[in-house]
Amino acid sequence: MYQYDAVDQEFVADRAREFREQVARRLSGELSEDQFKTLRLMNGLYLQLHAYMLRIAIPYGSLNARQMRRLAHIGRTYDRGYGHFTTRQNLQFHWIKLRDAPDILDQLAEVDMHAIQTSGNCIRNVTSDPYAGATAEELDDPRVWSEAIRQWSSLHPEFSFLPRKFKIAITAAPNDRTAAKVHDIGLMIRRGRDGQLGFEVIVGGGLGRTPYVGPTIAEFLPANRLFSYLEAILRVYNRHGRRDNIYKARIKILVAALGAEEFARQVAEEWAKIGPEGDLPDTELARIRGAFATTVFEALPATSEVFETAKAADPALARFARNNLRPHKKPGYTIVEVSLKTIGDTPGDATSDQMDVIADLAERYGQDDIRVTHEQNLVLPHVRLDDVPEVFAQLQATGLASANVNLISDIIACPGLDYCALANARAIPVAQQIAQTFADPDRAEAIGELKIKISGCINACGHHHVGHIGILGVDKKGEEFYQLTLGGSGAEDAAVGKMLGPALPYDKVAAAIDTLVEVYLRERHEGERFLDTYRRTGVEPFKEAVYADAH
Amino acid sequence: MPTLIRRQDDDQFILGDDPFTAVADDEGLPPGDVIISFARFQAEGDRLLAEGRAVGVRLEPAEEVEALAYDLPRIAVVALAFPKYRDGRAYTAARLLRQRFAYAGEVRAVGEVLREQAGFMVRCGFDAFAPADGASPQDWAHAVHRHRHVYQRAADLRTPAYVEREGG
Amino acid sequence: MKALTANRLIDGDVVFWKAGKWVERFGDADLFDDPGAAEAAEGQAKSQPTVVIDPYLIDLMESDGLWAPLSYRERIRALGPTNHPSHGKQAEGGEVIEALLHADGAARSSGRVNLIKRK
Repeated sequence: MYQYDAVDQEFVADRAREFREQVARRLSGELSEDQFKTLRLMNGLYLQLHAYMLRIAIPYGSLNARQMRRLAHIGRTYDRGYGHFTTRQNLQFHWIKLRDAPDILDQLAEVDMHAIQTSGNCIRNVTSDPYAGATAEELDDPRVWSEAIRQWSSLHPEFSFLPRKFKIAITAAPNDRTAAKVHDIGLMIRRGRDGQLGFEVIVGGGLGRTPYVGPTIAEFLPANRLFSYLEAILRVYNRHGRRDNIYKARIKILVAALGAEEFARQVAEEWAKIGPEGDLPDTELARIRGAFATTVFEALPATSEVFETAKAADPALARFARNNLRPHKKPGYTIVEVSLKTIGDTPGDATSDQMDVIADLAERYGQDDIRVTHEQNLVLPHVRLDDVPEVFAQLQATGLASANVNLISDIIACPGLDYCALANARAIPVAQQIAQTFADPDRAEAIGELKIKISGCINACGHHHVGHIGILGVDKKGEEFYQLTLGGSGAEDAAVGKMLGPALPYDKVAAAIDTLVEVYLRERHEGERFLDTYRRTGVEPFKEAVYADAH
Repeated sequence: MPTLIRRQDDDQFILGDDPFTAVADDEGLPPGDVIISFARFQAEGDRLLAEGRAVGVRLEPAEEVEALAYDLPRIAVVALAFPKYRDGRAYTAARLLRQRFAYAGEVRAVGEVLREQAGFMVRCGFDAFAPADGASPQDWAHAVHRHRHVYQRAADLRTPAYVEREGG
Repeated sequence: MKALTANRLIDGDVVFWKAGKWVERFGDADLFDDPGAAEAAEGQAKSQPTVVIDPYLIDLMESDGLWAPLSYRERIRALGPTNHPSHGKQAEGGEVIEALLHADGAARSSGRVNLIKRK
């Protein structure tokens, strides 16, 4: 993976030092809270219900064992022994004290990490494919481009005070694991007829109050012209995005108001004026690419006898293999998904002890490489099949062996009203109740792929719009109610879910999900996922069943 | 005479005199050098310049810098307004003035101008600052020089990381 | 009945007003019967920008013979997150915590007076 050089190291160290000064000026009263808020947010520090929350960037969801151990250490020392992995592949600590924040940033800088631009109206952490460098599906390694964008966007002089936050996702595989079409910019790596690399550029997707699947404004942008094109998009947005209404300030509103064609025209016009001077030189791209090319794989047989024997002897391992392993590009290797959705626990949470175990496993069996998925799980991208039984055993010992990836209990949930100052309703306990309803692993497997996503407010951090079943917490005269949507998808077949009907009270949600699943099992044709059945039948049979039960 | 923080060619910052009077549209014109709105410049600019005055134009964030392009050689100061420090449109305006229109006059930051923005402003080509937070030239220099490295090419002459690396 | 609450600047902890000082337990907070007194305290609290952030008044209701914040959000602030019973102020237990945990009824999830959500 990418290794910081002296430039990168000094950059984050300078930034940490700057924040220490800003904190001192706030504590002395020299800075007002209003002035300080913008500064702390640009370093990922929020004030939530119980304490400060620090959001640490995990650029494109990639980290090594040393970094994971440092996160574990910070969790133990400054938080309550755990951390929360988010839908943007970041990590949040929920019990941070302002007085500790400068020390924490120093500790992060020591291991080449930071919290730069994890909040604020700037270009946020880039989302990328957690299987990058490991899956045979990809046309190129998206981390190369992600890292280049990370650097380009860091303290960008022109684009640090945008109308609103700005999120970029990059994928190079036809199976989109980044939700690219619901980002401000989604970049999909394509190969032209002549073999040249390029990007399909999607702009103006988004969730929140006004969800959109973004339109494509460039079918094929030559890869070496990426940065001038990004500059053109950001410049058009910085100049013309709305600043009078926070709910209409995202780029999706501008794109929708102008129409994709007119927006594309304005970008093309600006891009022509910028010219290649705005691009990153090939030498720098080659340098970054080199950093990702260091993973060395052994020549192994495609099947592992050790693994096959262990699997035959242990049904739990067999179940884990069915649900949590993904094909690797090299024979004899596999991608291991580690579910952070243990039934009854908080989705996305890992204890410091668990982080240490993952770090050990990555170092010992996984080429020192760990990924975070936008679905709030972890990935060991390069594990030899021979080592899977041992990895599984160690995951079991630390309580991280849930074999439920992509199943109904693999639920995305934002922190919700239990922590968040913006939330209207809780999300975590709803996820816990649903997971418990489907705790029977045979039943969960029989149901198959089903993505439930829960947000505690309309800001949609829990991506509810793109859940096969989406759940949105609302405040109805002071009580927690939940609005259900069906048919959303954040993948390559992206779609915004449709409202099922009136919102349900807190204690009726899990039962309603059970009813939806029963309808699906009754209606489905061979090989159909929940989403496929819904798309075929429409909302009616589901609606009828849920609201018949509610009466 | 009021003062401004000015950036010098050696990237140092000093307190400098400000010979310009900023005049609102509903105010009468005092004698001497003035900074006026773009609308007023269109109406009265020719006359004021003919009187031998130096004239600056204040651009609000919604006003497009392209509209000034033809007049730039005659304009001594472009004052870009920050009605709120969170409003980032003037950064684009400054870059375009410097990089697209090769404007060599003064680009001044006015409005809610705080030292935390200093680094961004200097990189985009601002060279005169009317801080709203009482910052001194020392504060300004400290903020601007805090980061030893930058990752992008902008309107200043700083070497981006990717060039620095080639040299290293 | 009202109480005055804020988050402490230095650590973000939830605090309540008691006779010109800030205390960490809701059970120790001053309860204001008189709206004038409540607003006077809020005014005083707002003049402490290096001690607390964003002080505001919350409405209270009776629960098990004790007072509890009317809103669900404010109860969570006074207790801690519901997914981790050992985190936050609820860990300490006791009579007031029990009353808060059992508070029920017409909770307004935003219970603060003049709600402005913040980041």
